[in-house]
Amino acid sequence: MKILIIEDEKELVKSMTQFLRQESYVCEVAYTESEAREKILLYDYDCILLDVSLPDGSGLKILETLRLNRKADGVIIITAKNSLEDRVTGLNLGADDYLAKPFYLPELVARVSAVIRRKRFDGNNTLSVHEISIDLLGKAVSVHGKHIELTRKEYDLLLFLVSNKNRVVSKNAIAEHISGDDAELLDKYDFIYSHIKNLKKKVAEAGGVDYIKTVYGLGYKFTT
Amino acid sequence: MRLLQVNLRSLLLCLLVLVAVSIPVSFFAIREILNEEVDESLALHSDQFVKHIKTFEYLEDLEMDLGIWDQLSYDITITPTLEPGNEHLYRNVSMFDSVEHELRPFRTLTTPVEIRNKHYLLTIRMSLVDNDQLVIVLASVQVVIVVLLALALLLLNRRLTERLWRPFYHTLNQLKAYELDKNESIEPATTKVVEFQDLNKAVSHLTDRNRKIYLQQKEFIENASHELQTPLAIFHSKLDILMQNPSINEEAANTIGELEDAAQRMTRLNKSLLLLSKIDNDQFADSVNVDLSLVAQRIVDNLRTLSDLGEIAISVKAQPVVVTANYSLMEILLTNLFHNAVRYTAQNGVVNVLLADRTLTISNIGAPLKMDTDRIFDRFTKEGVHANSTGLGLSIVKKICDYSGFKVSYLYAGNRHQFTVVF
Repeated sequence: MKILIIEDEKELVKSMTQFLRQESYVCEVAYTESEAREKILLYDYDCILLDVSLPDGSGLKILETLRLNRKADGVIIITAKNSLEDRVTGLNLGADDYLAKPFYLPELVARVSAVIRRKRFDGNNTLSVHEISIDLLGKAVSVHGKHIELTRKEYDLLLFLVSNKNRVVSKNAIAEHISGDDAELLDKYDFIYSHIKNLKKKVAEAGGVDYIKTVYGLGYKFTT
Repeated sequence: MRLLQVNLRSLLLCLLVLVAVSIPVSFFAIREILNEEVDESLALHSDQFVKHIKTFEYLEDLEMDLGIWDQLSYDITITPTLEPGNEHLYRNVSMFDSVEHELRPFRTLTTPVEIRNKHYLLTIRMSLVDNDQLVIVLASVQVVIVVLLALALLLLNRRLTERLWRPFYHTLNQLKAYELDKNESIEPATTKVVEFQDLNKAVSHLTDRNRKIYLQQKEFIENASHELQTPLAIFHSKLDILMQNPSINEEAANTIGELEDAAQRMTRLNKSLLLLSKIDNDQFADSVNVDLSLVAQRIVDNLRTLSDLGEIAISVKAQPVVVTANYSLMEILLTNLFHNAVRYTAQNGVVNVLLADRTLTISNIGAPLKMDTDRIFDRFTKEGVHANSTGLGLSIVKKICDYSGFKVSYLYAGNRHQFTVVF
């Protein structure tokens, strides 16, 4: 799957490509608007990560061009300006998602895979990892074909971990993903721990393998 | 005391002194001039009299006629003398005034005359102005002048205060109402007075300059926060990469975890600063009608899953309260207040939320604060050390309330911390 990263910060681009490549994504990079325009004219991408502020112009202009040319590439806008207007403008121009800097790379991966899944949607709306299958439309999970009852947060947690399978995902990244702004209160309780514990228990009860490993001092890892 | 009053007071004082001095001065001057006039007149009179008599020198019985004249005339005496004098002698004498029944001053001139080889002394007298009366007249004239002048000055003063000083007071009032963070510049009234023109110029210059610096400062904070987002993003991403390294040991893993916590704290701090400066920079100007009870309910629903873990109950009694404000700001306002209450509530505690009559009250049980509660809304004032607290939450609350025209207050009563927002 091909991803185009349009971003002028070279170090950030390096981290993003490095992280995304592990998930068998092919990453191409454009550091400027002109470079980006060249690339999107020549090739089709599954997902484009688009920085709004580029040295030679605005990323939103690229998005406009993309949509004018009826390109179906999924687009995630990345911006340092976490403002509502930017978000609304971006989404109105046809962006699929919006991510504010700074972000966790697992969050980026989760967003990218969600966009790609949506674009590649061909009657198959389930995501399967061994005996676990996740119904993305119905937001339901089954193990060995047996439905298990998960809370909204547990479902989000499982999907997030599966999207980042075989990667260490930090507790902070998980907290931010499933609780957003409320994450800043989570230090008070071992919130993530109890959700993970419940999730593991439910999967185990349905006869599933315990794929979620604790990485001491850091977070968790869904190992396949 | 007003400047003009000081001015007026000095003027009046000066006037009084001048008048006090001018009364004796004019008295003596006028008396001198009058006396001189009288002396001249006496001299002329005497000279003409002598010349007139001389034309009658051929008369045989002139000597007797002179005696009769002396007897009959009131203001002329002519008496024979043995000594031939040669001096004109002026004297002041007092004589009884039979009409006014008092002594009156007279001026006399005694001249030696020689008629038909006989010596006479001719004395002519004229009434002088009464000194007492002169003083009274002079003094009363001066007093009238002083009173009139004072009245005129007072009137002029009042007029000047109203007219002349109008541009000054206009500028002064504008300065009093001037607020650096409001986008209003001072517009001085046009004036022809050079001093006021200078003042207006100086005031405009000062306020414009301050405003420019203030705007630059505001812009700087926003830009700085924006610029920090990218290095923070790089930092975060490098930590995420580092984490994936399978060869890191437990100690290194711990360090990476701690680094990530610190990075997250920086991110939150930066986001809060950015939010504060965005409010300052008026980037939340669009208002809609927001039903706060719905916003509150949604936030509390999200919080419940968290608070359940800490066995904190959130009790909400909310009636629909619709305000016209920026939606994002209202969300942030309520979120911050709720977070604050949840954060400082002990296990098994209760957070009470009451929304009714355009008033939101959020309270929770807790020990009294050690810090100065007047500073509770100040930036970076924290009670205790909460690693995840930026110390900006409540100042954002205050900022949003100020911006939206709400009133927020804190009260500690009956073991409860209570925040009240009046919309």
